[in-house]
Amino acid sequence: MPDPANLSWPKETKYISKSTHRVDAAQKLTGKARYSSDIQAEGWLYGMILRSKWPAAKITNINLEKALQIPGIKAAILIKGNERTVRYYGDEIAAVAGTTKIACLDALKAIEVTAEPLPYVVHEDEAKKPDAPKVWDDAPNLSKPKVTEKGEVDKAFSECATVVEGFYTTQVQLHHPMETHGNTVSWTDEGLTAYASTQGITSVKDGFAGSLQLEQSKVRVITEYMGGGFGAKFGSGVEGKAAAELSKAAKAPVRLMLTRFDQGLAVGNRPSSFQKIKLGASADGTLLAYQLDAYGTAGIGGGGSSEGGGGGANFPAPYIYQIPNTRVSQATVAINAGSARAFRAPGNPPASFGMESIMDDLAVKMGMDPLELRVKNDPNPVRQKEYEVGGKRVGWKEKYKKPGSSPGVIKTGIGCASGSWGGGGSKKTQGEAQINPDGSVEIRMGVQDLGTGTRTVLAVVAAEVFGLKPEQITVKVGDTNYPPGPGSGGSTTCASISPTALDTCTNALNELQKQTGVADARGENWFAACKKLGVTPLVVQGKFQDGLSSRGAGGVQFAEVEVDTETGRVTVKKMTCIHDCGLIMNTLTLESQIYGGTIMGMGYALYEERVMDKLSGALLNPNFETYKLTGLSDMPEFDIVLINMPERGVIGIGEPSVIPSASAIANAVANALGVRINSLPITPAKVLAALGKIPAPVS
Amino acid sequence: MKAFEYATAHSVNSAQEMVADNGQYIAGGNDLLGLLKEYIVDPKILVSVKSLPGLDRVETGSKVWTIGTNVTVAQIEDHSAIRKTFPGLAQAAAEVGSQQIRNVATVGGNISQHSRCWYFRHRDVLCLKKEGDMCYARHGENKYHSLFTGNTCISPVVSNLAIAFAALDATAVVQRAGKPVRMSMAEFYAKAFENPTAHNSLNPGDLVLKVEIPTTRTHSAYMQTSEKHEFDWALVSCAAAANITNGKLSNARVALGSISPVPHQVDAANEYLEGKTLDEATVTHAADMILHGAKPHEHNGYKVPMAHALIRRTLLKLNA
Ligand SMILES: Cc1cc2nc3c(=O)[nH]c(=O)nc-3n(C[C@H](O)[C@H](O)[C@H](O)COP(=O)(O)OP(=O)(O)OC[C@H]3O[C@@H](n4cnc5c(N)ncnc54)[C@H](O)[C@@H]3O)c2cc1C
Ligand code: SF4
Repeated sequence: MPDPANLSWPKETKYISKSTHRVDAAQKLTGKARYSSDIQAEGWLYGMILRSKWPAAKITNINLEKALQIPGIKAAILIKGNERTVRYYGDEIAAVAGTTKIACLDALKAIEVTAEPLPYVVHEDEAKKPDAPKVWDDAPNLSKPKVTEKGEVDKAFSECATVVEGFYTTQVQLHHPMETHGNTVSWTDEGLTAYASTQGITSVKDGFAGSLQLEQSKVRVITEYMGGGFGAKFGSGVEGKAAAELSKAAKAPVRLMLTRFDQGLAVGNRPSSFQKIKLGASADGTLLAYQLDAYGTAGIGGGGSSEGGGGGANFPAPYIYQIPNTRVSQATVAINAGSARAFRAPGNPPASFGMESIMDDLAVKMGMDPLELRVKNDPNPVRQKEYEVGGKRVGWKEKYKKPGSSPGVIKTGIGCASGSWGGGGSKKTQGEAQINPDGSVEIRMGVQDLGTGTRTVLAVVAAEVFGLKPEQITVKVGDTNYPPGPGSGGSTTCASISPTALDTCTNALNELQKQTGVADARGENWFAACKKLGVTPLVVQGKFQDGLSSRGAGGVQFAEVEVDTETGRVTVKKMTCIHDCGLIMNTLTLESQIYGGTIMGMGYALYEERVMDKLSGALLNPNFETYKLTGLSDMPEFDIVLINMPERGVIGIGEPSVIPSASAIANAVANALGVRINSLPITPAKVLAALGKIPAPVS
Repeated sequence: MKAFEYATAHSVNSAQEMVADNGQYIAGGNDLLGLLKEYIVDPKILVSVKSLPGLDRVETGSKVWTIGTNVTVAQIEDHSAIRKTFPGLAQAAAEVGSQQIRNVATVGGNISQHSRCWYFRHRDVLCLKKEGDMCYARHGENKYHSLFTGNTCISPVVSNLAIAFAALDATAVVQRAGKPVRMSMAEFYAKAFENPTAHNSLNPGDLVLKVEIPTTRTHSAYMQTSEKHEFDWALVSCAAAANITNGKLSNARVALGSISPVPHQVDAANEYLEGKTLDEATVTHAADMILHGAKPHEHNGYKVPMAHALIRRTLLKLNA
């Protein structure tokens, strides 16, 4: 057995780095898994939120009386007081709790709000103008840019053999996990219990305690199953606090899950970006100089507090390539719209889109192969390998043709892009194993399964250590009564829980062997050894140990597309995704992350976009009819290649997989057409415009 | 959603009696439920027409086929005889929404559905179509809107079936004031072309009974382009139908959806096609004629080249 003070990952494995089906697959497929939105606590009430119909207004009075008179309504509360300014369409004003949905809907209609509408601005370029309505009274809409400079930029540009300039824009992408935000909260004199749809039970507990001034020992957060978060579900949120206050007022548990409509407005988004970039290289393609002037919007604010970023609209620049001389200026412009929040690899997809687009534009201008340009300038040794593996895998040399040279009406193209992410584990993670005399095992950790397969990974580690099968392990997560686990963010979950589980299970095995005198209790000896415990189960703790995880994951993706030059529609034919994340824990759930990330990246490339209306100030597409998500029939063929590097320990993959997809697709489209669509999403309208086929407006 | 009464009609007369002035018919409910939930309509009573006798059948005939109002879009898509005789109609049906929607969506509901303009559908925007005082789309977000209109509203007809029916020269039979009235697709939507508050030419209480399709045209086809590959509205749709004898067209008709409040048809183009052979030059000329006078707005100019391509492709598909 490994020495607990000097743990290492086993070299020969039965489950680690192999494929184990989700241990909770049957629960999920049969509907037995209880998601947060399925919770029906005894005597529960519906909760609903009244939102601002104004993009900006001064509220002078809110009268809840009539709402409270509606049969079935048990409580109504104000959300941020009676006199206040609302700053976007959808800002929370009040909330009600009642016995039926329809009573709550009627109550929302019955609340009387007196307000003076204020001027507003919902588009970035309008908001930047000096005479634009101000989103905040005491600050200009456009922030002072953050400027950084390295080397001698102007001089370097003057020495470049080739210089390209471009303007690249990305849209606001909305957070739309399949399960909306929300909780069932029960707040009594004994304390508060929240069944939360969250990716951070610990941070939600902290949020409730802080915002309601409760002792932390009186707050319990439970998340058995939840339907995705992607960065937007770390806090207790406005909706959580409202549910708690309604519960207290109504003396009953309140289930307040947002509607899909609400979801589009107020739970965060990926900021937009408008990037003016200049890039220069020497004759052999060595990048020498880079300049960026960028702005974007994070809505009314800098975004919710969350792991992995979210503040403002800034992004890493220059992205991933080594450039000695750089000048970067980035600003955030406020508009009257819902604010940003951490969104799967915050900052990286827009950063990648700008950088990878101009890389291809540079390669085209130089007459150089864009893959070679990347190889030449990417300092990361792992990605170097991935360019090589991927290039061969897709047949880059044969497939990459001069841009626009594909014949016919339907043109084909190929593109490449890469991404980089931190990952790594949280040192604060703790765990607990209970070995019962009948040989059954429970692993308990206060982490939540975001849908990524957290339970399964814990079962895999325990099974490996104990010589059992993953399905023999009962994994208990999603309860703040268990030892504290990490928030599921920053791609750190797997790298936090796996070393912790290894430590915990190793300790437990050692203790079992010590107590029972069985020299090796693993595998076939397991049940006999456990029997010797008598009637008392063994409970053993463990914690995160260094040396079993590390940071820094990446990936290179290749997109192959078809573009119909008459209708403008893009079809992604194939995505080849080469990714690394250190030691692979479970191949199946890892691949699943790459499918999901790439599909989300396709949505960013082609379909998703928040549409704000300047005439009403409202969000025009608060539904899946016009906020378009990648669907089954849009799916390309996938080829996923994983680079397993056990020597690096566990790292994390959830985020890197979403970064390069849109950039690779955009590059493939540019390769097909011979002109670049410099703006996401790449819609038929933009393709036809880039091809010069659109007549001028008549009206 | 406001409270309402619900009743099931078992005869055409009782349906019309019950619906009176302030009720609305409900068939599959795909369209109506969305409107109710967003507080866009508030009928006192919903009268289900799904149990009306004899209106859920496809009846074949040598001169005319009859499709009852309650036949579902999925039934049309899957109907082997329709696929053979009116392939354009089956293709149009197959592109409607998702399988789940097609399973419950009815023919009558599909052609009677209301505007999909995102301002009209927005609970907090009061535009001209909802008795507000302005058309937001004209000066706002109009990428999904019309290239042609006879009034201020630029919300287009989006019913896939209506476009195929128009090309096939089908007739809607509508019970009005105690007797059946027959309307071509042009007539069925004419009011929406002139009146911004109308979605079609139905008066309150008018009940669609069936749609009749003449067997005159032996060839038909339908194509659309959407942003996504499935389960997405057409940005532009096109249907064509004709006879082809010895490679020569007769009785040709082309209709486009999503570019006008009515199925967009140009008689002169249909006449031009008479006696022509289907080749690039012919279809290009027809497309030019059909799109002549298009008035693009700030964000929907792309519909012009897209429609041009779809007209050409759909006509050429007739040969297939
Ligand atoms: C997400 C989504 C995507 C969609 N995509 C498409 C698409 O791509 N293409 C497309 O064509 N459609 C599409 N639809 C629309 C859908 O096809 C229609 O809503 C459906 O066909 C309506 O039929 P229904 O039976 O459900 O009608 P209902 O909703 O029951 O009724 C619709 C309207 O017709 C009236 N009505 C119903 N029957 C009669 C009758 N016999 N006489 C008079 N009036 C009647 C009702 O009063 C109501 O006003 C989509 C809908 C959704 C929700
Ligand atoms: S196009 Fe018609 S429905 Fe849309 S905003 Fe204008 S008037 Fe209203």
